[in-house]
Amino acid sequence: MSPRIQAQSTSTTATAAHSKLGFNADAAAIAIALALAALIRLNIIHGIGW
Amino acid sequence: MISAETIGVSRPRQIANLLPGTALLFGIGLAGKGLESLCTWLRVAHHIPAPHVEYVLWAILLGLLISNVASVPRIFRPGIATYELWLKLGIVLVGAKFLFADMLHLGGMSLVLVFVELALSLTVMTLLGKLFKLPPKLTSLLAIGSSICGVTAIMAAQGAIDPDEEDTSTAIAAILTLGAIALFAFPAIGHALHMGQQPYGIWTGLAVDNTAEATVTGALYGEKAGQFAVLAKTARSAFIGFVVLGYAVYWASRGQANRVERKALFLWQKFPKFILGFVAISVLATTGFFSRGQLNSLSNLSKWAFLPAFAGVGLRTQLRDLVNQGWRPILVGVLGEVFIALVTLGLVFSAVHLGGMR
Repeated sequence: MSPRIQAQSTSTTATAAHSKLGFNADAAAIAIALALAALIRLNIIHGIGW
Repeated sequence: MISAETIGVSRPRQIANLLPGTALLFGIGLAGKGLESLCTWLRVAHHIPAPHVEYVLWAILLGLLISNVASVPRIFRPGIATYELWLKLGIVLVGAKFLFADMLHLGGMSLVLVFVELALSLTVMTLLGKLFKLPPKLTSLLAIGSSICGVTAIMAAQGAIDPDEEDTSTAIAAILTLGAIALFAFPAIGHALHMGQQPYGIWTGLAVDNTAEATVTGALYGEKAGQFAVLAKTARSAFIGFVVLGYAVYWASRGQANRVERKALFLWQKFPKFILGFVAISVLATTGFFSRGQLNSLSNLSKWAFLPAFAGVGLRTQLRDLVNQGWRPILVGVLGEVFIALVTLGLVFSAVHLGGMR
């Protein structure tokens, strides 16, 4: 049988990665992007600089 | 999808809980951009030898500093998790930079390279796991994480192959640690080899596991490199369902995981949907739906969206995990990742030599 790996201190980064959003990030990202694209297309938002 | 932290909390309260961490992400990102501008001003206006460091690196360094020197208070944690939203928003919007024909050409070529990378990395990771006597399911998780898209793939596999919680945590920590190393190693290698923006970006998209780290590692080399890294990484992420399904079927056949009854539904559930948004924005850009100025605005918006995402990469990386993990998973990860990096580098140079890249 394979020996077990000590993972007692992997909790910090792994816990951060486990933190899940309370909503669907994919759907929210697409909805926000399309809304912003529509606002830009309608010239309601324009000239966004960097 | 409701997380454990948000069960029993009203929707307005959930949104309010996100605000401190989200403000921290944007604050760090803006501070990084401000530091880049300040250094440029000091160099140009006052001839003071301020460091020539891009906002991407400033944001990561500030995030690393805050999370590793001081402990981030609990109130910020829900909002810090929104870095995933800003990352995906930035990726969808960066679709405006790619004409659909270019995306098909480069994306198609990336798919071929991804296919080769997948076959080799899954095989090598499995062999290394056996060689170093890792638990079989931990080996599966490391293989899935390193061949497709890091933590997302591991989390997708968790529900499919039913590993121990300990194996999942170890695999995630190993993949995140290797991603943190890649942030600094890949740009140095790219500069040493005088790689162009396109080949470097495609290389990082093929070799760096997590979408966030791949995007940052590309952006650290240059804006164009960051965009090509997103394209290659997106092509790679599209395979997530097939790889996880393969492992789910394998472990189910050994009676150590539940059978997958509806495979088409399984593939759709695991497919990263933000890719559809990326393609949709690219199609709109190609069909002339936006003027040149509007496309420029969309491109700049993607940079603003990436700003808090870069800060999030720094904030969630704990350097103490580099030394505190079991040595065998990290050794298997390092050996496997070095192999993958070399193979994909060879593939990219072959594509450049054959005229498929500039």
